Amino acid sequence: MLKKSLKVFAKQAANLLALTSAGVSLRRLLLVTAMTSLSVFTLTGCETKELQGVLLTQPSASETAQAQHKWVRSCALCHVNGEGGAPKVGDAAAWQPRLEQGGDVLLAHTLQGLNRMPPLGYCMDCSESDFRILIDFMSRGAQ
Amino acid sequence: MSITRRKLLASSLLAAAFNPLGKTLAAGADVAHSSAPWHNWSGYLQSNPAQRFAPKSEQELADFMKGNAGGVRPVGAGHSFSPLVPTNDALVVLDNLSGVVAYDDASTTAVLRAGTRLSDSGPMLDQIGQAMINLPDIDRQTIGGAIATSTHGTGLGLGSLSAYVTSVRLVTPEGRVIDANRNDNPEIYQAARTNLGALGVLTEVGFQNRKPFKLKSMAWVEKTNTVIESFAERCLEYEHYEFMPFLHADFSLVIAHKETDGALKPPVPEEDQGDIFGVLSNLPVFARRPVINFLVEAIEPSEAVEASYLALTNIRNDRFNEMEYSVAVEDGLACVREILDTVTKLGIDALIPLEYRVIEKDDSWLSMFSGSAKASISIHRMAGYDYKPYFDVIEPIFWKYGGRPHWGKVHSLGYDELSNLYPHLDDFIEVQTELDPSGKMLNQHIAKILNRNV
Repeated sequence: MLKKSLKVFAKQAANLLALTSAGVSLRRLLLVTAMTSLSVFTLTGCETKELQGVLLTQPSASETAQAQHKWVRSCALCHVNGEGGAPKVGDAAAWQPRLEQGGDVLLAHTLQGLNRMPPLGYCMDCSESDFRILIDFMSRGAQ
Repeated sequence: MSITRRKLLASSLLAAAFNPLGKTLAAGADVAHSSAPWHNWSGYLQSNPAQRFAPKSEQELADFMKGNAGGVRPVGAGHSFSPLVPTNDALVVLDNLSGVVAYDDASTTAVLRAGTRLSDSGPMLDQIGQAMINLPDIDRQTIGGAIATSTHGTGLGLGSLSAYVTSVRLVTPEGRVIDANRNDNPEIYQAARTNLGALGVLTEVGFQNRKPFKLKSMAWVEKTNTVIESFAERCLEYEHYEFMPFLHADFSLVIAHKETDGALKPPVPEEDQGDIFGVLSNLPVFARRPVINFLVEAIEPSEAVEASYLALTNIRNDRFNEMEYSVAVEDGLACVREILDTVTKLGIDALIPLEYRVIEKDDSWLSMFSGSAKASISIHRMAGYDYKPYFDVIEPIFWKYGGRPHWGKVHSLGYDELSNLYPHLDDFIEVQTELDPSGKMLNQHIAKILNRNV
């Protein structure tokens, strides 16, 4: 037991101190990629859903499409495979406690960064409206 | 137990799936007006851009540059720790200009759009039978941002990304489009290879590449004294070699890559690592050496075999601020020893290891490696902690060894000091002033470097 605890502790030390992090298997990645493709498809159809706490207004189709393009090159970097503890797109259990904090808090964390999430989540040209659409999209599996 | 490095990026496959050859989107440019400040990756830098412009074509960018009388700063991934980006005018985002523009099998060269993230470039180049010769260890950056600061990896005889730039395509501050290479506009070419984002906005970059290759990645912990004594020999043994000395400890993490034709062997996935930083940071500095030695000595070595672009790059989840200087290779090990001794002697409360790498010389004007090979030494402080007390003590050690600061990392130098370190700085300023007579591309930090008025 002591040996096991020491190993876990040592691994943590190595990962923090040497800035290393976990690998992801190709199989898992492909599964997640497939799931993400499905989620992107869902995003295009979200106009018919009711407004949720994150969204202030119902986005138009073009606003949604624009945000979708931004998501692929920013949020997806971490929220597809849960990099650094990021809640995965569509992961109800992971998003629920975050949604309970309210849309404004989620937006503030996105803009300012939180823990391992960098400010703006690698989307340098996202507006607050874009971020709300993207948070809503990623958390939809939780609703 | 094993140490693994972050290998496989969802973004790479996603980007390839959505946009295999990087076709530029056809719709109009995004102009975002946001009341939220812009921050860099670490969160330390911030500004309030009046607008954020994301052109979807080079023509849109050129029109914008021509019509915009105010200041402009381009941004990539925001990974620079020095204030190259902050602006209260226009922030230009090149994320929409991504992908492979053209390639040539015979010369193994390819032209990439400047907004292409390094993490996406690996699979893109692999599809056309090419791979970058070397890569830095963070791969979220865009090509344009990485080139602007001569971003580098490690390896004897291996240069920074700027060393392998064969051509650039630039939209000037006045909206002209210029192609430059060794034969056409050679001075602009030499300036643009490490450009601080000060010449205008790069839209395309040509690279000398090589055929795809695999690397066997190895990581192990070893006594720092042994690592230092064997460094030269090990650099000959491994194509890519670096070490990370733990602070307040006697050990280093060694990371080595060797080319192989062997079968792929993915890195071992790991579970969530928890908050070891919190645990160690609560220990008094004087008590850390035996604890850290005890912990890291138990780490078992690890191995993996992957495509080069996966093996060389990582995601760094824990955010930090960083200072890095490059010194003469023959001085590097003495310099790193002096830093380690200083951290110990002064009881500096920092945890993240140093990083020691070697980089081949190039001939771009502002590269840290212009004219001679260098050893680069990095110091880090976790984001959210005041780095100044630590960095202010260490920076004079770098100066003592004649170090050149990394353009994208924290430093305190201005034109007077930099012009002694970079023989071509005045050449660069001449080109910059010619392309940007009104100073559109300047912010306070760049003006200080270039000795120009904002």
